[in-house]
Amino acid sequence: MPKISVTIDDKKLDVDVGKTILEICKESGIEILTMCHLKGLTDVGACRLCLVEIEGINKLLSACTTKIAANMIIRTKTEKIKRYQRITSELFFAERNHVCSVCVANGKCDLQKLGYKTEMDHIRYPYLFPECNVDTSHPWYVLDHNRCIMCTRCVRACGEVEGAHNWNVMNRGYQVRVISDFDTPWGESVTCTSCGKCVHACPTGAIWPKAIVQGQLEKKPEIIAELIEKRKMNL
Amino acid sequence: MSKKKIATIWLGGCSGCHMSLLDIDERILDVAKLADIVKCPIVDGKDLPEVDIVLVEGSVTSDEHLREILHIRKQAKALVALGDCAVTSNITGMRNYFDLKEVFDTAYVNAVSNDKEGSVPDHPELLKLRDKVVPLQEVVKVDFVIPGCPPDADTIFYVLFEFLNDRIPNLSEVKKLRYG
Ligand code: SF4
Ligand code: SF4
Ligand code: FES
Repeated sequence: MPKISVTIDDKKLDVDVGKTILEICKESGIEILTMCHLKGLTDVGACRLCLVEIEGINKLLSACTTKIAANMIIRTKTEKIKRYQRITSELFFAERNHVCSVCVANGKCDLQKLGYKTEMDHIRYPYLFPECNVDTSHPWYVLDHNRCIMCTRCVRACGEVEGAHNWNVMNRGYQVRVISDFDTPWGESVTCTSCGKCVHACPTGAIWPKAIVQGQLEKKPEIIAELIEKRKMNL
Repeated sequence: MSKKKIATIWLGGCSGCHMSLLDIDERILDVAKLADIVKCPIVDGKDLPEVDIVLVEGSVTSDEHLREILHIRKQAKALVALGDCAVTSNITGMRNYFDLKEVFDTAYVNAVSNDKEGSVPDHPELLKLRDKVVPLQEVVKVDFVIPGCPPDADTIFYVLFEFLNDRIPNLSEVKKLRYG
């Protein structure tokens, strides 16, 4: 594969063409915060956490959706980026109702980890306290909109990997919601195969199996990429 | 060095943060060497005197809490929000998704245990709940926050000890940041 030269955080690297900045950083051991990215799924740039600064471009770009190009000078940990990442995590918490102390994901949640990484000790914005539904109609799983950050990992896992396309997205702005089929109860879905991929893909306590209680959630998001690899082997 | 004055206050919380504070065990003696505890929830109801550091557990849920926290802010050099309720409103804030009347009716009128005879108490001596529960920083300037439900005893001691020694604690540095 042809190589190109780039500079990331003052390090000169020869890297493959055609990959995203995020892929290159992962391969080179450079840590980038992500939330909506999940290995195996198409990247959509929804969460805005993987922002990087590129010399000559006057806005921050998302590393997961920007292809690397020759001679790019990229910075991943500037004060500006850190400031934005902290604001983004605060807005996740202010937008819906995250009560970690009673959450199934407590202690194992990617959103909590994000808060710690961005050194978020409190939220500087007023909480919206929206009234959110909890859909318990599925026999095995629950969807709790209070804890959803609209990363759409469930939507993509269901559509791209399971091929069922039960999940979709409705409305805009702060009213945006994940929906099952045509905004009908999950338990009445005609497309859901109950495979559980969305449960594992979801980074928070928004989708979880009914059989567990507070702080007991175990997720294996890596199964999505593993499954894709295993399918290739079977061909 | 003269002894500092500290206090702990219990607003809209479950007292779990205070339990956690008690879990610092014998380290309370290290605190006592450096400071006098001039007020805490088990002493009588006098208003807070001037203090160097106050740890406040719980969120602002009533007119009484609001009056209290405004007074505390005037009296304290350093105001520390202790625990998730004080920092984020946490469980106490879960009633914010509903209308206050609905909340009252659910608790006092429609609860199964009320066998249809419940009514909302409205004695003038009772505190008045505010429409929305808010964390401390929405009504006063907060100098330091310790999130966690409850925060670890170790974290509470660390923060208190740093303040007592005139140092500013740093939760992220020592990986003591935790929610829930
Ligand atoms: S999803 Fe994560 S951040 Fe949200 S309440 Fe649950 S543990 Fe807390
Ligand atoms: S339910 Fe989970 S996976 Fe789906 S959009 Fe919300 S946070 Fe993301
Ligand atoms: S990981 Fe790139 S925008 Fe979410």
